[in-house]
Amino acid sequence: MIHLENVSKVYPNGTQAVKDLSLDIADGEFVFIVGPSGAGKSTLLKLLIREEQADSGTVLVNGHNLVTMPRRRVPYLRRTMGIVFQDFRLIDKMTVYDNVAFAMRVIGYSEKTIQRRVPMALRMVGLADKGKRKPHELSGGEQQRVSLARAIINKPSLLIADEPTGNIDPERSLEVMKMLCGICQKGTTVIVVTHEHELVKQFGGRVIGIEGGQITSDTTEPLRYPITKKAASFTEPKEGLV
Amino acid sequence: MKLSGIPYLLKEGFRNIWANRMMSLASVVVLLSCLLITGTAALVSVNVQALIAGIGDDNEITVYLRPDCNDTDSLALGAKLSAIPNIETCRFRSRKEVLASYQKTLGDNIYAAMEGEGNPFGNEYKIRLQDLSQYETTVTQIKTLEGVDKVSDRSDIAEKLTRLDQFVTTAGLWVVLILGVVTLFIIANTIKMTMYARRFEISIMKSVGATNAFVRIPFMVEAMVIGLLAGLLSSVVLIILYEPIRQAASNVIGMIRTATLPLYEVWLPVLLSLSGIGLLIGLLGGAVSVTRYLNKEGGAILGT
Repeated sequence: MIHLENVSKVYPNGTQAVKDLSLDIADGEFVFIVGPSGAGKSTLLKLLIREEQADSGTVLVNGHNLVTMPRRRVPYLRRTMGIVFQDFRLIDKMTVYDNVAFAMRVIGYSEKTIQRRVPMALRMVGLADKGKRKPHELSGGEQQRVSLARAIINKPSLLIADEPTGNIDPERSLEVMKMLCGICQKGTTVIVVTHEHELVKQFGGRVIGIEGGQITSDTTEPLRYPITKKAASFTEPKEGLV
Repeated sequence: MKLSGIPYLLKEGFRNIWANRMMSLASVVVLLSCLLITGTAALVSVNVQALIAGIGDDNEITVYLRPDCNDTDSLALGAKLSAIPNIETCRFRSRKEVLASYQKTLGDNIYAAMEGEGNPFGNEYKIRLQDLSQYETTVTQIKTLEGVDKVSDRSDIAEKLTRLDQFVTTAGLWVVLILGVVTLFIIANTIKMTMYARRFEISIMKSVGATNAFVRIPFMVEAMVIGLLAGLLSSVVLIILYEPIRQAASNVIGMIRTATLPLYEVWLPVLLSLSGIGLLIGLLGGAVSVTRYLNKEGGAILGT
């Protein structure tokens, strides 16, 4: 899925964000990336989605070589990914349904397909009855679940969550994390960048520590997926999304 | 690019205009002013050219006789004029007829006061030349005749009109150029503001793999609609005002009525060209702004 070899990135202001970093992530893995601010976590994600380009080394994602990939091919790489943002990035004037549908509309899906898949995605994140609501009418946790539904709507093989629990309370954080685990168990590779060590300890899985642009630790524990009533309802519909 | 998404993006373009209506309105007004000036300059120019052509066709020269040249002397002069080889026709107009032609302009009271001894005009002859290239020689010959005050023709008017046309064209071009740059800036700024206001949407579009071409569509639609709207409005204003202005000008100079272009000949070119220019400016302003935004801040997805 992901293969990084001796990757370095220096920003124009001279900051060395990533330094000779090598990393392999297999298909279907659940990976936490942890580290203090300025450690290079965000740059690593940016390299994976080709928002930034490595100065040297190899970056392979979903079989694409991102170092040599021409710019015009980048959108097609991103169609194999889903991204969950810390600040949710929901469009206030749109309903929950339209926020999720938006991700399909802008890459040209037909309304028929959209009408079939969006309710499924909302059902998966437990918001089937809130499609007509506006984002500001929802709690932080619910908003992040909408963001999650939008991230999985295009059936990505890689899901990147950048501090997905940064703006929600601990209980809701747990809920969102369980959903991410559920998505991973359906075969999607999930990378979660977080500051929240407690949450990481609770879930286990592979934990990669980054500091100074380099990997300082890489440990793997079995992924603990505490099944709750809500998480149990997070089952795949007849035609799965992930 | 899947075509099924196009209707949605077009709709988004129109939605942008409404969501950003004050800035859109400002852009339309500025572009409208620019196009009105452009259209006016173009219409004045084509009409002046038509006038010049009309004057060329009508090569009648007026030979003014001195006021003290009485009717007998005038008739004798007429015979001498007819004897000049290059003069094709020679028509006499008495000073009374000349004054009568101004009756309407002068009003009845002034006209009455000028009649008889008070008539400031002299007799005159209207002549046509056989060969216009011999104009200077023929006029010199006419001027040597006793009783001739001056010779007037429309070549000086034609020259003045040509100069006016050159001035209108040059000044018009500069005005259009300057206003064009201002308008491009305004449209580009409107689109930039729209893009900034919708930066989240753009980052989401980019994160799910929308191509730059797809991201561009709503913003380009917005810019083009602003341009087209300004083009249509300016042409409608010009079409409405054209005939009244032409009529007013005809009241001052009579030949404007016959020599200038009637509305049915100009309305379609005005409509098509101004709408086209408006659309083009919108397209250009939008393209500059969208491309610059997407190449810079618009490329960011995760932010700093």
